[in-house]
Amino acid sequence: MEPVDLDFEEADLELPSEPMTLLMGPSHPAMHGTIRMVLKLDGETVQDVDIQPGYLHRGFEKMSERGTWSQVFPYTDRLNYVSPLLNNVGYALAVEKLLGIEVPRKGQIFRVILGELSRIADHLTGNGAIAMELGAFTPFLWFLKAREWIYEACEEQTGARLTHSFFRIGGAAFPPTEKLQSQIRSILPRVLEVIAEGESLLLKNRIFLDRTQGVGILTKEHALGMGASGPVLRSAGIDYDVRKDKPYLTYGECDFDVPVGEDGDTYDRFMVRSEEMRQSCRIIEQSLDLMKKIAPGSPEDAVSITDPRIVLPPKEKVYSTIEGTIAHFKLIMEGINVPPGEVYGYTEAGNGELGFLLVSRGGGNPWRVRVRGPCFFSLQAAHDMIRGKMLADIIPTFGSINMIGGECDR
Amino acid sequence: MPTFKLDDIEIPFEKGETIIQAAHRQGIEIPHYCWHPGLSVAANCRMCLVEIEPGPGQRAMMLDVLKWDAAKNDYVVDRKPKLQPACQQMAAEGMVVRSENSHFVKDARAHVQEFLLVNHPVDCPICDQAGECRLQDYYLSEQHTPKRMLDEPVHKPKATVFGDTIVYDAERCIACTRCIRVCDELVGDHMLDLRERGNRFEVVVAPGRKLEGDYTLMTEHVCPVGALTSSHFRFKARVWTLKEIPSICPGCATGCNMYIDVDLRELRAYRNRPRDNEHVNKFWMCDDGMMTYLRESEGRVLKASVRKESSREETTVEAALERAASGLKGVQKGWLAVLLSAQASTEDNFVMVEFARQLGAPLYLSAKGPWKGDEILRNVDQNPNRAGAVAVANNAKVGSLKDLLHAISAGQVQAVVGLGTDIDADAESLAVLSRVSEVVLIAAHDGPLAARASVLLPAASTFEVTGSFMNVKGIAQEFRKALPPKGDAVPAWDLVARLGRAMELDLKYRKFKEVRAALAVLTPAANPERVPAADAPSTPPAAPTTPSTATNP
Repeated sequence: MEPVDLDFEEADLELPSEPMTLLMGPSHPAMHGTIRMVLKLDGETVQDVDIQPGYLHRGFEKMSERGTWSQVFPYTDRLNYVSPLLNNVGYALAVEKLLGIEVPRKGQIFRVILGELSRIADHLTGNGAIAMELGAFTPFLWFLKAREWIYEACEEQTGARLTHSFFRIGGAAFPPTEKLQSQIRSILPRVLEVIAEGESLLLKNRIFLDRTQGVGILTKEHALGMGASGPVLRSAGIDYDVRKDKPYLTYGECDFDVPVGEDGDTYDRFMVRSEEMRQSCRIIEQSLDLMKKIAPGSPEDAVSITDPRIVLPPKEKVYSTIEGTIAHFKLIMEGINVPPGEVYGYTEAGNGELGFLLVSRGGGNPWRVRVRGPCFFSLQAAHDMIRGKMLADIIPTFGSINMIGGECDR
Repeated sequence: MPTFKLDDIEIPFEKGETIIQAAHRQGIEIPHYCWHPGLSVAANCRMCLVEIEPGPGQRAMMLDVLKWDAAKNDYVVDRKPKLQPACQQMAAEGMVVRSENSHFVKDARAHVQEFLLVNHPVDCPICDQAGECRLQDYYLSEQHTPKRMLDEPVHKPKATVFGDTIVYDAERCIACTRCIRVCDELVGDHMLDLRERGNRFEVVVAPGRKLEGDYTLMTEHVCPVGALTSSHFRFKARVWTLKEIPSICPGCATGCNMYIDVDLRELRAYRNRPRDNEHVNKFWMCDDGMMTYLRESEGRVLKASVRKESSREETTVEAALERAASGLKGVQKGWLAVLLSAQASTEDNFVMVEFARQLGAPLYLSAKGPWKGDEILRNVDQNPNRAGAVAVANNAKVGSLKDLLHAISAGQVQAVVGLGTDIDADAESLAVLSRVSEVVLIAAHDGPLAARASVLLPAASTFEVTGSFMNVKGIAQEFRKALPPKGDAVPAWDLVARLGRAMELDLKYRKFKEVRAALAVLTPAANPERVPAADAPSTPPAAPTTPSTATNP
């Protein structure tokens, strides 16, 4: 510190200060698991920030090369672990694209329904966290209550609450249970009600509005330049949703809107997610209707294809017929024989465009699995959202990106 | 060379070759069970059926068939060409053959495969063949439909003992007759035959006999399914956990090419398999050769030991080398004899010859005595590398063990340094070795000579090092390291070089490739061609052909 010259009038003096370096995270509750920020602070103003991800790097892509194509599913569960079913769907679709196969209609609708449920769970968590980080703990608890209903529905269908590993190359592990229609139809209005209740606590709250509006602004150009996608991109005013622009599964048959923000601030990201949850509910309602229309016993009325080169035979056939045993043995021991080729499959996951670049050189193991984790690209844009703002603004801004360590660091 | 077309690929062939042979030589496998490149053509499995286009001006032979039409829910009249077995059909100039490209062929194979599986038991989980079974491979590649026959399958005898080495399971058998043909054509002894027809067939041993002889394991080797199993390998390991290491059989002077199948988790060899080499063993190996993987770990020298008065004391390799060097230093030049080994690799013998040359020591050769040879593969000389040991001596005289014993009796030898512990003389005659002040032996296996050693050093066996043998025809062949050396064992050439350095000789070899490089210069004839390691791909994997597409799934 410079010595204070006593000859100066006190009013002429500015408080002398040097930039202070502050290490935030990786073990900080607001750092969503494991991110470290090296902040250069001038008082409470963030002069510069260096965001250092990678603390949750587990070598997902390398691990995937060791197992068979099917053994990658449990790893995808652990990418964005708040919406694992969306990751399952993304990976399954990419491999199916490489194989040139298509899942029967019922399976496609089933994927849409469970995927959208996961998206709601993902957004509930993300929005709840923004509120909680601003001190509003109640909406967070309410949203998690709603998420719990969704987890129960997912558990009913997949047998697991969090790490489902449910979808398969060529279909799903099981067909929908009898409860599918009734359970999901009963929870959707309740989830919508909780979202509205939560918003009613926040959207007229001066503190919430002041701390989110005009904070953490991401411009259109910057969002595009950094490769952001999903709610982060849409809140900046760009209308890009893979489900709408490159429809896959049965999304093309569903009527839904893509909410777009204007300012690209934390408030817009919150609102885009809120609206997307409502749109997801619409998609699920329509998909449940579509599923009802499938004639029982028709070729469409199956969740998986039946090719024994790709899909495991039913267990009773494995134990009682040699054909089933052989197919099971070959698929488990050697894996699905995926023809040589390279493919990029991409879907709209909770955080945006989840891409799988798969390279096969034939045989049962992937040669290369490269994941485009959407929040990695949103995180790239975070520097400019944080720089020049107050220290306290980092937390809601960073929360609104919804960085998920598993997906970002892989 | 004339050519024919197989699925739009030009295949060259020699006159008299069948379609499947010519394709096999080009690396294209037409699915088959009963055909084997080393056996006669049976053409009974019907898996290799192909469609042959009629020649110019000829009419295709078409058959009237009934075909199920799902839309009409009835059979409709259809026609299909008469398919030919590729294993029996001679290739002809300009012939157009369709295999994968013909839906008639694909249909026929699917049906053949379905019939083969009709009565097959649900045995994969307990079958030794699982993982290398053609029924499994072709089910996925040719049939891939679920079972349609829901009746109880025909049951037949299981675990029939054919002989000391082979156990037969009739339910798994597909009656390809390969095992019968091996007995007939390789051995010339009609021990096996087929009984009954249709789904009651069964392979049986000739009445009053059992499956015996020196090539019984070849019946198991050619079995494309799990019907014949080796009683040694049965229920011991699962094949997908094994890694194949290219090697050379150390059993006799023929030098059959083989694979050693090793479990890398347990570091244990589980079986040998013949490796095709048309110049040496073609497709075959004898039973003794197949069992060398067991012999390799039996009676090993695992620790260095030195003799103290009447007893033997275990010590470290360093201490034993020091003791040997100090004992040998006192020996006057010309009074030392060096013993090569016909059981040791060319490289080991090569370094030993170098050692002898620098000391001016005469060379002798230890070897195993003759055994029962035959006209097929087994050589009378059961030493894999007699030719190699003599070759590296580079025209220097190599005496036998008997010559060495004579020289000792005549008082011309004060000390012996040797490889191996095998003898081809009678054991009593070894008594003269007690007249020698120092006997330093480097050996992997315990043998009659070991008891006479004043210093015994543990060498790695031929399963545990990379090296080479020169067979009786003078073909130098490389074998590769399959297992890490057991106990304190190290490669014999390394022990010789270290002993030499302890005696202040100029033996610089510290790495195997230095030995190989010197061998290539001094005895090029004994320098083998390198065989690729099992895990190294012979050709780099093909680059992906499908271009990256950016359309959505």
